[in-house]
Amino acid sequence: MKIKFMLSALCVAVMLSAASAQDLSIEYDAYTLDNGLDVILHQDKSTPIVTVGVMYHVGSKNENPDRTGFAHFFEHLLFEGSENIDRGEFSEYVQNAGGQLNAYTSNDVTFYFETLPSNQLELGLWLESERMLHAKVDEKGIETQREVVKEEMRQRYENSPYGTFLLEVLKRAYKEYPYRWPTIGSMEHLNAATESDYVNFYKDFYVPNNAVLVIAGDFAPKQAKQWVEQYFGSIPKKKGSFYRPNVEEPALGGEVRDTIFDEVQLPAVFQSYRIPSRNEDDIYAVQMLAKLLSEGESSRMRRALVDEQEKALAVQNVIFDFEGPSLAIAFAIANAGVDAKAVEEAMDAEIKEVQNELISEREFQKLLNQVETEFYTSNATTFGVANSLATYHTLSGDPELINTELEKYQEVTREDIKRVANKYFTPDNRVVLYYLPKPAKP
Amino acid sequence: MRITQFFLYTVACLLLATSVQAQDEDFRKNAPKPGPAPKIELGDYEQFTLDNGLEVIVVENHKLPKVTFQLLVDAPPKAYGDKAGLAGMAGQMLSRGTKERTKAEIDQAVDFIGASLSTSATGAFGSSLSKHKEKLLSIMSEVVLQPAFPEEEFDKVKQQAVSGLAYRDSDPSAIEGLVSNVMRYGSDHPYGEVETEETLNNVTVEDAREYYDYNFKPNISYLAFIGDINAKEAKKLAKKYFGSWERGTVQKEFYERPTPPEETEVDFVNVDGASQSNINITYPINLKRGTEDAIAANVLNAVLGGGGLSSRLNKNIREDKGYTYGVYSTISPDRLVGYFSAGGSVRNEVTDSAVVAMLEEINRLREELVPVEELEGIKAYLFGSFARSTERPETVARFALNTARYKLPKDYYRTYLEKVDAVTPERLMEVAKKYILTDQAHVVVVGNKEEVAEPLERVGTVKYFDKVGQPIAAANTEIPEGLTGFDVIDDYLEAIGGKEKLEAVEDMSMEMSTSMQGMAINMTMKRKEPAMMSMVVEMNGNVLNETRFDGEKGYVSQMGQKQPIEGEQAEDTKEQAMLFPEMSYEERGYTAEIVGVEKVNGEDAYKIIVTDPDGNKTTEFYSTETSLKLKEVTVQEGPQGESTVTNELSDYEEVDGIKIPRTMKTIGAMPAPMTMKVDAVKINEGLADEEFKVE
Repeated sequence: MKIKFMLSALCVAVMLSAASAQDLSIEYDAYTLDNGLDVILHQDKSTPIVTVGVMYHVGSKNENPDRTGFAHFFEHLLFEGSENIDRGEFSEYVQNAGGQLNAYTSNDVTFYFETLPSNQLELGLWLESERMLHAKVDEKGIETQREVVKEEMRQRYENSPYGTFLLEVLKRAYKEYPYRWPTIGSMEHLNAATESDYVNFYKDFYVPNNAVLVIAGDFAPKQAKQWVEQYFGSIPKKKGSFYRPNVEEPALGGEVRDTIFDEVQLPAVFQSYRIPSRNEDDIYAVQMLAKLLSEGESSRMRRALVDEQEKALAVQNVIFDFEGPSLAIAFAIANAGVDAKAVEEAMDAEIKEVQNELISEREFQKLLNQVETEFYTSNATTFGVANSLATYHTLSGDPELINTELEKYQEVTREDIKRVANKYFTPDNRVVLYYLPKPAKP
Repeated sequence: MRITQFFLYTVACLLLATSVQAQDEDFRKNAPKPGPAPKIELGDYEQFTLDNGLEVIVVENHKLPKVTFQLLVDAPPKAYGDKAGLAGMAGQMLSRGTKERTKAEIDQAVDFIGASLSTSATGAFGSSLSKHKEKLLSIMSEVVLQPAFPEEEFDKVKQQAVSGLAYRDSDPSAIEGLVSNVMRYGSDHPYGEVETEETLNNVTVEDAREYYDYNFKPNISYLAFIGDINAKEAKKLAKKYFGSWERGTVQKEFYERPTPPEETEVDFVNVDGASQSNINITYPINLKRGTEDAIAANVLNAVLGGGGLSSRLNKNIREDKGYTYGVYSTISPDRLVGYFSAGGSVRNEVTDSAVVAMLEEINRLREELVPVEELEGIKAYLFGSFARSTERPETVARFALNTARYKLPKDYYRTYLEKVDAVTPERLMEVAKKYILTDQAHVVVVGNKEEVAEPLERVGTVKYFDKVGQPIAAANTEIPEGLTGFDVIDDYLEAIGGKEKLEAVEDMSMEMSTSMQGMAINMTMKRKEPAMMSMVVEMNGNVLNETRFDGEKGYVSQMGQKQPIEGEQAEDTKEQAMLFPEMSYEERGYTAEIVGVEKVNGEDAYKIIVTDPDGNKTTEFYSTETSLKLKEVTVQEGPQGESTVTNELSDYEEVDGIKIPRTMKTIGAMPAPMTMKVDAVKINEGLADEEFKVE
């Protein structure tokens, strides 16, 4: 009798816990205005703030090859003002409203966003509609931002150790695809830009039917939708098509190897493997492979190179999951006195191991656990949610990935990881760069 | 190429005029008004103390299925002098082995549950999904309560710390941060002492264990549980995993409070070849956290440069002048000593102008009342920042920790915005007059001395420091009237043997050796007139680098790759291949400008800038006493920016009547300075041209 009672109590407990288990999915409402502007709303009333973001489907890959850096430069210019906003006032409006604004430009997209106290939502919508409808830039603005971008280039790339690695990788990893130049582009190209370049770029890409507006945070949906219609509904759409590079990037066709002599004290090795786009199924296995190699202290490359062999000071695998042909970059900074070649051999040995041996069930479970933690962490803020929704929508055409991507990872098998290691992580599919201290003069 | 008169908006208008005019678009003219300000609900937290004195804080938040554990050991700041770096190493050692597990086992356990765990000199931090919380906490307890300090792990920690220094010394912003600390606090203060290879090597594993034994006590510590966990559960877990931790006495050390300099000075660190200057205007202040001054100072800082792109500094230096990608300021309160800091990186040409403009902008806070409208904007900004920060439960935990740690009033954070709101322009000026000391600041500049140092004299006396903030001694000698660069070079040629003897040298071979990390490196270099060269570098018998140059072309074979030497590089190599290039400086159209007298390893030397006809510069130093060349510094411009190599020459000895340096130290080309010994020199042994042949 007692046992039976306990069992039923257990049953109740199980049912209760199932019922009260948190529903962790991100709910949102997605619709499209008549002018083609996609809108995604995600309500979260836990903090009285709201993030407004507009992602334009334009990045450095949409640039004219002799105007590289234009998309990023344009991002700077679009803070200069508009028909109704004077120069310098854009950020002042946001700051005085207690908000924070910023933007980024990638190879595929440009994202503008501000996080504001919830009572300032309308301000955010007004600002973004001004940017989309009639941005305004004068010569002083262009001159100033050009200097600012030059300083950005110096600070982020030139004056920082190994700062130029992505520039060096891209130009060797791609022959045709417009990922072959970096978002920062070329100063000469920016200097050569003419009035029509600016006008055309704005006309071509800064239009509602090339953008998604995301609102995430504390707002009243009905009111929000009304404001969205008011501020964005009458912005004219672009007729005709958008320039999307339709370039077939040939296989790398053999290992590319080079040495960069730089102002660094420790040698470093960058191995960049060509991998498929973020929209191919293999990307999930590749992501897990990268974690296997360098996520956490027990990851294979960290354990081998940093702990056991003491060859490297640091090692990391980063996936650049572009909309087009993508890159997996593994890099290691050598310990003092260790030769770059020894570091590279140790990296290769770890790749070989994955190619030859199926990873253990336990190590595979570890990867799944890491993916799960990361999945929830990225949704911690309204900005994080807005950014994910906009990115999934723009680059994969499916904002629901914010909820379902975890399942895609869970579908990956141990065999998949071995398979992608053999398929993509081969010498003839990679660019290897050594960063070495500038050699002593004899 | 200059672009004249262009206004994007004209076209934007053209584009839109048709569609927009039809409608009533007046609502677009002005910024919309905000709705009523929302109320910010600061999340609640619970706090209790274990029997051993450990303060526990619990911030419940179930939005995500995650927990964070934060252990703060409030160890009193202490200077470790010739063992600087000890505390950091001790902190890292905690997770590198316990009485139960090795580092690899700990790492596996943490990674397996998808968690993260780190330890430091002042505690530990862990985070995981809530379903793994107990597992993670048990590991965290194990590393904090039972670290084993294994010797071999300690050696690795030390080795990595030393490698880290090499990285630090090549990063201008890291140099700027470190030198700023030395300038503000002095190198005897806990906040100002500098880790060097020497101090790190002085630390033993016993020192690390002592640091831990002395400081890691529950009665000076705080443990915060944040996220998907309730107070009851937290209490149970805290007792279970930290209840047995034994209390102890931890003494505070006393340190003299650092003071600002008497007058504003420029503290310059030379990084040859830098394309930007890292600027930091800074000095120590006596400002305690939680005081009324601290709140007003925070508002003042937001006006100046604590906020976004609309702060005064960014508007002026970035948006108006385009000198920088961004400049920021900080006014930081602290129990021991706080600091003021304002800076960023700017391009070389505008370094002095940027410093002057920043000082003016900063000083304006003392001279002019902040307009009410601007202040209202700043208050709104601080309101919004506060609101945004409360999005993360970690913020509530931080507030709770600060309240306990700094003994702040219980309602300090709840009433924080009211206190901000009460700050007036007059109050700001009062605070500015107290804490804004533009006449008593260290202006730390890390940059290219040749290009930017001199104009900085208009800001204040320029003092020179090395990359770890140690002063560089000034030379005693002055340049004699009428002495030219070529006079100095002629004296040098005379000193090493005289032109006649030098001209008679047809070839020379040298054998050199050095060691790196215990590995022997040997180098053989042969040179023959005119400009032929062959060089082989071997490490433990393996050839690392082979260079050949036949006078016109050549190759470098390094790490299995052969690269040709051609074009500009060939010109460069030609110069290197010459036996005594100084002999023909004049005839090849070089200029040699004498620019000063500086110390080279304690010896006064004339500093000569030698420029070739293409404008490439080498800085050469010749002893004022012996006329011998002591040092040469080359800056090379490449596609990756510029870089510098320094060669120091010493121990000159005569071979066949010609003085040859027997020791050469190279700095900037390798992870650590490398000293080459010249073991053998042969002159005019009749080397055949075949030795230099390039296929």
